[in-house]
Amino acid sequence: MATKKSSVAFNTLERENLFRNPPKDKSAYPALLAAVQPHIDSFNAITVDGGLLDLAREDIGIKSVFDGTNEKGSLGNKLSLRVDKIYIGKPRLSDHRDKTSLRREIFPSECRERHITYRGKLTVKLGLRINDGPWISQDRELGSIPVMVRSNRCHLENLAPYDLVEHKEESEELGGYFIVNGIEKLIRLLIVARRNHPMAIVRPSFAGRGKSYTQYGVQIRCVRPDQTSQTNVLHYLNDGNVTFRFSWRKNEYLIPVVMILKALIETNDREIFDGLLAAKDRENTFLTDRVELLLRTYKGYQLYTKKETLQHLGEKFRIVMGVASDMSDVDVGKEFLRKIVLVHLQDPRDKFRMMLFMIRKLYALVEGSCTQDNPDAVQHQEVLLGGFLYGMIIKERVEEYLESIVKEVRREVRRTTAFDFSNKEQRTRIFAKVNENIGSALEYFMSTGNLSSPSGLDLQQVSGFTVVAEKINFYRFISHFRMVHRGSFFAQLKTTTVRKLLPESWGFLCPVHTPDGSPCGLLNHLAHKCRITTTISDTSSIRKTLASLGVVSPATASLPSSATMCIQLDGCIIGWCSPKLARVVADTLRYWKVEGSHDIPLDLEIGYIPESRGGQYPGIYIFSQQARMIRPVKYLPLDKEDQIGPFEQPYMSVAVTPPEVVPGESTHVEFDPTNILSIIANMTPFSDFNQSPRNMYQCQMGKQAMGTPGTALRHRSDNKMYRLQTGQTPVVRSPLYNEYGLDNFPNGMNAIVAVISYTGYDMDDAMIMNKSAHERGFGHGTIYKTEKLGWAEEKRRGGPSSNNLFGFINQEEIEEQIDSIHEMGESTDEEKLLKKKAYQSLGIKQEWLETVDLDGLPKIGQLVKAGDAVAVYHEVPKESESRSRFPQNKVFTYKGSEDAYIEEVRLLGVEGNDNKPMQQISVKYRIPRSPNIGDKFSSRHGQKGVLSQKWPTVDMPFTESGMQPDIIINPHAFPSRMTIGMFVESLAGKAGALHGMAQDSTPFRFDEHHTAADYFGHQLKMAGYNYHGNEPMYSGITGEELHADIYIGLVYYQRLRHMVNDKYQVRTTGKISDLTHQPIKGRKKGGGIRVGEMERDSLLAHGTAFLLQDRLLNCSDYTQTWVCRECGSFLSTTPSIKKIGFESQVRCRRCAKPAAGFKAEGMVWEDGNGGQFVGGSNTTVIAVPYVLKYLDVELAAMGIAMKFNIAP
Amino acid sequence: MSDQRESYQPPAGGAGRSYAGASAASGTMHYLCAECGVKVAINKGEPIRCKECGHRILYKQRTKRMVQFEAR
Repeated sequence: MATKKSSVAFNTLERENLFRNPPKDKSAYPALLAAVQPHIDSFNAITVDGGLLDLAREDIGIKSVFDGTNEKGSLGNKLSLRVDKIYIGKPRLSDHRDKTSLRREIFPSECRERHITYRGKLTVKLGLRINDGPWISQDRELGSIPVMVRSNRCHLENLAPYDLVEHKEESEELGGYFIVNGIEKLIRLLIVARRNHPMAIVRPSFAGRGKSYTQYGVQIRCVRPDQTSQTNVLHYLNDGNVTFRFSWRKNEYLIPVVMILKALIETNDREIFDGLLAAKDRENTFLTDRVELLLRTYKGYQLYTKKETLQHLGEKFRIVMGVASDMSDVDVGKEFLRKIVLVHLQDPRDKFRMMLFMIRKLYALVEGSCTQDNPDAVQHQEVLLGGFLYGMIIKERVEEYLESIVKEVRREVRRTTAFDFSNKEQRTRIFAKVNENIGSALEYFMSTGNLSSPSGLDLQQVSGFTVVAEKINFYRFISHFRMVHRGSFFAQLKTTTVRKLLPESWGFLCPVHTPDGSPCGLLNHLAHKCRITTTISDTSSIRKTLASLGVVSPATASLPSSATMCIQLDGCIIGWCSPKLARVVADTLRYWKVEGSHDIPLDLEIGYIPESRGGQYPGIYIFSQQARMIRPVKYLPLDKEDQIGPFEQPYMSVAVTPPEVVPGESTHVEFDPTNILSIIANMTPFSDFNQSPRNMYQCQMGKQAMGTPGTALRHRSDNKMYRLQTGQTPVVRSPLYNEYGLDNFPNGMNAIVAVISYTGYDMDDAMIMNKSAHERGFGHGTIYKTEKLGWAEEKRRGGPSSNNLFGFINQEEIEEQIDSIHEMGESTDEEKLLKKKAYQSLGIKQEWLETVDLDGLPKIGQLVKAGDAVAVYHEVPKESESRSRFPQNKVFTYKGSEDAYIEEVRLLGVEGNDNKPMQQISVKYRIPRSPNIGDKFSSRHGQKGVLSQKWPTVDMPFTESGMQPDIIINPHAFPSRMTIGMFVESLAGKAGALHGMAQDSTPFRFDEHHTAADYFGHQLKMAGYNYHGNEPMYSGITGEELHADIYIGLVYYQRLRHMVNDKYQVRTTGKISDLTHQPIKGRKKGGGIRVGEMERDSLLAHGTAFLLQDRLLNCSDYTQTWVCRECGSFLSTTPSIKKIGFESQVRCRRCAKPAAGFKAEGMVWEDGNGGQFVGGSNTTVIAVPYVLKYLDVELAAMGIAMKFNIAP
Repeated sequence: MSDQRESYQPPAGGAGRSYAGASAASGTMHYLCAECGVKVAINKGEPIRCKECGHRILYKQRTKRMVQFEAR
């Protein structure tokens, strides 16, 4: 918790000081850093010593291969491979490729400016062993992998704002993203099933798995210490049997569950029976029948001991597991259990107990004594963090690498008879053949978001893992990091159940901040106080503590008769107790946890599910691992902060406000009701006054506002960047605005808004802007576009690579002659031609030199229009080629349609090559965008509107004090939308402006007894204004007082990035499609807008037939064509050959007869092939749509002829 | 087909164009190092390197010529 409670005050001096003197110790906005912390921490977790990569390396284990040199039968020498260490380096210049640079580190800003990837070297220390010899290690470099900014592999880690500014970063640079090809990318947070907790599932598709399968199942997503997961499912069969299902390398396998049980430990039917049935269950014939059948049917396998079972499993799964050939079947069986069955547990005994528990839960589900668990509820979900996913991919790639070495060795052994492991040269030859570039694979993953993996990583999707962290404005940027996606698999589902807002989400996922439309409810945002754990809490004392509370350890008795409540810690059964005791245990643990005694960590999740009739399966489920959502609430007994998770929350009584606390029942109370909202949703003022969809709209529009993406714009080279020139701090805001330091990134302007129907130009969500406000700079914005010019990507393999250089090929010549050529007169046409020739002889054009300097690069500050030259280049002439008559210079042109100014030009050195001349430049254009009619604006209440007029100030209405509004909106915008929050903001803003103070707009602060209208009305009254915010106004045109008092106040307005200049589309003629001759679509291509069915209907209804014809025919694919009047065919008409005294005419080939005998000279005509015909002259020209001709041809191809009756 | 943009063309008068007096910028150009800010002279075909610190990004300096626009 922040020690200093932030206020709403403007803190102008403090902010100014922070801007001038960025702190040298730590950021002034810790809340902002905390917002992205899960991303950074998850990345750090993979790279730290003993981190996830080390755990992954252990899990990969040893891969071995044999050379088969010895006599037949034996396997030969054994080469074992393992990974001793995986290093990820910080981004640095390579030592042997670059020798000139002083500073060896590569900083993120350089990568952004150069459009390259921020990456560090991935090195793997490989361990090799021959037979039983010593391990030899060897370092292999596996390329460079993208590295997260501000992680422990980034040079910016832990830098203070001052140092960040020194390194051309934002003073509040957050990190948490990767830089790939100069673009900032981040790995999305993804919702996955809660780990290590068996979930009872009823899914109709389960029944389709095979004969006698039912819809019942128990599913558990087991997570290894290295965060990779394996899902196990138990299926219930009609006859009471249970099958164990898992998926391995994208294939599914089914095993009878008893086989797993028997393989795990040395057991017998009695023990399994006792483990499944508590004493009181013995009377329950439903259960006993099924357990009996379960054990009886297994007899068919005739596997009795653990060894036999393991052998059986090993034999069946030897190929699937891909193990070394010298492994015994029993060992393969053990490996199978280690890698696939309940992988979150190590001890087979624990696995055995857990498996029994899952079977019990499955039977309970079938029997109906427990209900199904909802996989769509956040209670059974956790968050897959980017860093963890990244670690999984690295692990899999490294394992794949080992396997590819093994494969290569095997191939080599088969090819050459004598392959010697101990020979170093032969070994290096193997390495050379193996693909060692893991780096590019990860770069591919980051830039496309596609996962190419042999196992699928236990995930439901293969693409869409990464998104661009767009910096349209800061709201957009920050919400990317708080975004949680349900998975693209669910986007295709037709049912809406997955999208529902469930009460379980309270406090974890923001109820308002989700987009409307197709991703609605799938793309959620974390509540701003919700945190995601990234480390395992210390649980070493839990077992001891539980024992002291009287919990029976599972080691002492398998299933005590009175103890029916299971206590699990991260999916490991650690005790049993009675339902009565369970409550005491749970309450005591929580008390101790909050108190901080007994070494119980505060972020432990103690999910106590009480016994119920047909409710969730009871027990105490304790969770301590990573990836859990967690949030702070106040624990009432101790009046201290407690951290609660979504699993336990549904069974707790958390009061929203202190008055809601029910004595004896409530255990917790929220610190603030606004804790349930996301950062963006919290920025909507008085959102509790609005109709809820309006708040959702605002969450969308806040992210589309033209705002301030950052302060280090000079050092960025995003493709497109929006900037609001005159951003202001809102008068009406909540304290969180200051806490998150959003004053550094203003997102709109305070505007005086009058709600009045004034000119008629404010109809239908249009708004009128005061022309003088516009001229004062209200809403002025800029777009920056960056373009990369050069040839880096043009590398063709094999063929002659063209070698280009920026600049003029004949620079000296031009320098010498240019002045004299410039001075040549151009008064007459002759002179003009002469001048043009002179330029031509230099291989240039006169216009080029207006925008390009003699170095071939654009002039900074220069205005460029469409088609202007921005850079000159030429091919380097090959020595063999003789010089052509004129020197050949070529240009890159500016392709945008709008006038732009050259803002910056960067000369980029070639990546990874010291001495190559410049191959790339980066040009940043600046396009000024002052507010224009048709541009979109919105208040912070989902009230968007289009600017319809810039109305002259003199004609605007004015109040008694002479105030004139900046913006006029129509009163009709309110009744149906019910955005009362906007009225209140107007009121509060007006009072705040009058008194010179910021207003607190936190929602849920007013009620019926203490209304906002009164509170702010009183302030207005004190300032000498009308209590209700209305004022008499006078028409600016006539000067008469308006009949009604006008509601006028101050509202914060956002300018949205949708502007007419990017949208307008007009066309008279233009490009047409080749096939149909109809206009193509698309604004970029100069296409038309479709007159669709509805438009057609309305034209029909109006009886405007000629208009309809104009749209659908004349302006579309009007064509004139020849047709035969007799046979009515387009296709048979053909022009005849022109002869002397015989003009070319169009004749019908089909109606014509071959000329035979003697015919009059004038009658015979000849077609293109020299055939002579008579007749077929009854042809005419008609106007048809071109597609009709096309249709005729298509039909003819199918053997269908079209006949047209031509009249008159 | 006709790919030309049919935008309004203001009457020629050279608004925003100061007709080339390119002679001012002759010889080698000077650029600013993105790292240390030093002026670096780079001739055509030379690799992009700061002569002081070896940095790999250079900024072009703002043109010295008068740039004049029509205020509209």
